[in-house]
Amino acid sequence: MQVIENKMVKEKLYIEKLDNGLTVMIFPRQNIQKKYVMWATNYGSIDNLFIEPNKTDTTKVPDGVAHFLEHKMFEQENGVNSLDALTALGVNPNAYTTTDHTAYLFECTDNFFEALDELMDYVQHPYFTDENVEKEKGIINQEIMMYDDYPEWIVYMNAIKAMYKNSPINIDVTGTIDTVSKIDKDILYKCYNTFYNPSNMVMFFAGDFKPEEIVEEIRKRLIPKASQGEIQRIYPEEPKEIVQKEIEEKRDVSIPMFVIGVKEDIKGEAEDIVKKHIALEVLLNIIISKSSNLYKQLYEEGLLQEEPTLEYEFSKIYSFALITGASNNPKEVYKRILDEIKKLQESGIDEESFNRAKKLIYGLYVREYNNIEDISKMFVSDYFKGINSFDYIDKYNQVTKEYAEELLEKFFKEEQMVLSIVK
Amino acid sequence: MELFSDTIKEGIKVHYRNTNKYKTNLVTAFLSVPLNRKTATQNSLIASILRLGTATRPTQEEINKRLEEMYGAEFNCGIEKLGDTQILKFYIEVLNDNFLPQKENLLEQAINELFDLIFNPILENGGFKKRYIETEKVNLKNIIESKINDKDQYSFDRCIEEMYKNDAYSTYKYGYVEDIDKITDEELYNQYKNLIDSAKIDIYVSGEYNKQEIKDIIENNPNIQKLSPRNVANIVEEKNTSTTGDDNSNDTQPNTVIEKQNVTQGKLVIGLDIDANKNESKYILGIYNVILGASATSKLFQNVREKASLAYSARSLYVWQKNNIYIRCGIEIGNFDKALPIIYEQLEDMKNGNFTDDDVESAKRTFVSAIKAIQDEQDEEITYFIGQELSGNIPDFEEYTKRILEVTKEQVQNIANKISINTIYFLRN
Repeated sequence: MQVIENKMVKEKLYIEKLDNGLTVMIFPRQNIQKKYVMWATNYGSIDNLFIEPNKTDTTKVPDGVAHFLEHKMFEQENGVNSLDALTALGVNPNAYTTTDHTAYLFECTDNFFEALDELMDYVQHPYFTDENVEKEKGIINQEIMMYDDYPEWIVYMNAIKAMYKNSPINIDVTGTIDTVSKIDKDILYKCYNTFYNPSNMVMFFAGDFKPEEIVEEIRKRLIPKASQGEIQRIYPEEPKEIVQKEIEEKRDVSIPMFVIGVKEDIKGEAEDIVKKHIALEVLLNIIISKSSNLYKQLYEEGLLQEEPTLEYEFSKIYSFALITGASNNPKEVYKRILDEIKKLQESGIDEESFNRAKKLIYGLYVREYNNIEDISKMFVSDYFKGINSFDYIDKYNQVTKEYAEELLEKFFKEEQMVLSIVK
Repeated sequence: MELFSDTIKEGIKVHYRNTNKYKTNLVTAFLSVPLNRKTATQNSLIASILRLGTATRPTQEEINKRLEEMYGAEFNCGIEKLGDTQILKFYIEVLNDNFLPQKENLLEQAINELFDLIFNPILENGGFKKRYIETEKVNLKNIIESKINDKDQYSFDRCIEEMYKNDAYSTYKYGYVEDIDKITDEELYNQYKNLIDSAKIDIYVSGEYNKQEIKDIIENNPNIQKLSPRNVANIVEEKNTSTTGDDNSNDTQPNTVIEKQNVTQGKLVIGLDIDANKNESKYILGIYNVILGASATSKLFQNVREKASLAYSARSLYVWQKNNIYIRCGIEIGNFDKALPIIYEQLEDMKNGNFTDDDVESAKRTFVSAIKAIQDEQDEEITYFIGQELSGNIPDFEEYTKRILEVTKEQVQNIANKISINTIYFLRN
C-alpha cells in the first residue's frame, strides 16, 4: 500500500490499487466520530459521446444520463430503496453529479459496516425498468425547474455558454426537460456497464479507519468483475475563440448578478497544472480581492458591495477563470477589472501584494483539511484530474512572482473574456 | 467534550472549548438583544459599519490587508434571529500555529483584532464616520432588497411574516428599507453604545491552545476591561411563548396566502402550530419532525416526492423557539391542488398513528447521529452552544441523546394531535 505524508498539514493518505482496477484511498483521522465514505466514477455530464471498451462504434447519448443514473442507482430489484435503507440506519446518504464524475456517499457515526454493505450493494446492482425510469422523469423535471429559479445558476451557465461553443461543459448537468424525456432503461444500462467498471472508479474513506482493514472489507464486498479496457471519450473540437462577448437574461433579482469568464486556449504545451492553479488563484486575488486597490475603489463608488467570488476551473477539455459578483453596473465593473489587468500586465505585480495573496491562499488550502467531507470531495475530484491534493500544499512555494507575471500575460487576454449578466 | 464557561462580569461570559480536531482556531462573539422592529434595522446597520474601520485600522483596506497577512484570517459579522432574540455574531477564524511555516501567535492576534472590530470603531465628532454610515445604508438596502433573489428563503420568511403579523418575531432579521433613511447619525451611535452596554455577550474560543494563556489575553484586553456589567435576564428565555401572535384560538380555518412572482417552480410553505409546552415536548417533536419530513424516509419525501413525483424537495423544519413546524416543498405550479391533499394525509397519518415503531427507531438513529456529528464541526458546535446558552434549557449532548432515546411512538402520536395548520403560503407565477 502506498502512503503519502504531508508534513505541513500533518496528514497521511493511503492508496491501494486492487486487481480489478479499483483505486481505494484512505485518509485516517483518529479523533473524530464522523466517518465519510465516497464511491465515485469518472463519468459526468461531459461524457455523452464515447466508444465502449473493446468496441469500435461510437455511442451518443442524450444530455443528462450521468445525472439520471445517479438518481436511479438507489432503487433495488427487491423493492428496497437504498437511500431509505441507509437513512433508516441513521446514516446520512447522498449522491451528486459533476461535469466529470458521479459520487455516491454517506456520512455516519454508527453502523458503518451495515452502511458500507448497502452502499457497495446498490452501486453494484443497477435495476432499471420502463416504469421506474418514467417515474423518475417527473422528479428530475422538478429539479431542472428548481435550478431555473436560481439566478446564480443561470448567470454561471450563461457565462459558460458564452465561452464554449462545442465543448459539453456548456450543457446543464441535469440535461434539459427535452433530453431527459429521451432517456430510457437501455441507455442507462449501457452507460452503467461502460462507466461503472471498477477500473473507472475510486473509493475514498475519511475518519477513524485502519487502512489495511478497510481494504480487506472492500475486497469482501466486491462482486467479481474484470478490469476493462479503456473507454474512449470523444469531445468535439473546441475553437480557441469565445462564442459571444456578452450575454444577458432577465429574472426577478434585486441587483444584477454578473460572471466575468476568461477562457484559455488549452491546446498548448504540457504544464504543471497545480502550479498554474495556485498562481491563478494568487493572481485573481491580486486583481480584485478584498484588500486590493480596485475593490476599495469599486466599493467606495457603490459598484460592489461584496468581494466577488474567484474561481479557476479546468479539466482536459476546458480551462477558465470566473469572477462572480453583484453590481448595479456590471459593465462598468467589467471595464474596470479589465483596466486593472492591463495595468498590472504593464507595470508588473508588487512584491507586497504578491506575498500577501500567497499567504491568503495558503490559509485557504490548509483550511480544506478541517472537515472530512471537504477532504473527501477534494481528493476525489482532484484524483479524476490526475492530481494528488497534497500537491497544492507542496507546490505552493514554487510559485514565484516571475511565474505569476508570465501567467498574467498569457492567460488574461481581453479577446478571451466574456460578461454574463442576469438582471 | 468539555466546555468551560467563565462569567467575567455580569452578563458577559467567555466559553473555552479545547479541541485538536481542527486546523483552525475560531473565536466567535455573540451580542444578543431582544428582537424588535424599532432597533432591528439599526443593529444590522451597526454590524456592517463596524467592519469598515477601527481606531487602529481606520479603513476596510487596512483591515483586509491585516487579515490576509494573517494567512487569510476569516472575519465576518452576521445577523441572526433566534426566537425573539436578535443576535449580532462576529467571528474570526485563523490557522492554528501548528500548521504554519513558523510560529506567529495567530490566535492572540485574532482575539485582539476581533475585539477591536467590535468595541473600538473609528469615530469622528463623537459618532461613526459619516461616510461609512452613508455607504452602509446603501449596502444594507441592497441586502434587504436581495431577499427576493432566494425564492425558497423568501417564501419561508413570508410565511412566518403572515403567521406572526403583530409579533416582534415577524421582524426581518436585517430590518427594513423604509426604516433605513429615518435613522439619524446620532440615534445610530446611541444605539451602538446601548448595544455594547446592555447586550448579553458570549465569547467562544474553539481550538487547540493553552487555556490559561488565552484567558489572560482576553481578560486583560483593554476593550474587554472597559465593558460594564449588565442585567440580561430578559434575554435568556425561560417562558413558554404562545404559539401565535394575534389569536391562538382553536380556529381551525388556516389562513391561505398566494403571492405571484416570476418563478418557474411554485414554492409551498405550510406553517404548523403546536399546542403543547415546548420545553416538555421538544424531544418528541424532534422525532415527530424527522418522521414527517426531515429525512429521506420521511412521509413527505416518500409521498410527495417519491410516490407522486410532485416535487424535488419536500421537507419539514422544526423551530423549537417558537413551537412551530414548517413544511416546505418546491412543486409545479399547476400541482398545488394535488400536493395539498397528499400533505394533509401525512399529517392525518401521524395523528392516527400510521407509522411504525421502526420509523420511530430510525428517526432516533438519525437524530443521535446528527448530535454526534455536530461535535465534529467547529462552527456548528458553537451554534449549538449559543442556542443552549440563550435558552437556558437545552441540555448537553449526552443528556440530549438520552432524552431522544426515551421518546415513544405513543408520545409522537399524542403530540401529532396537538398540531394544526396555521398558514398556507404559496409563491407562484
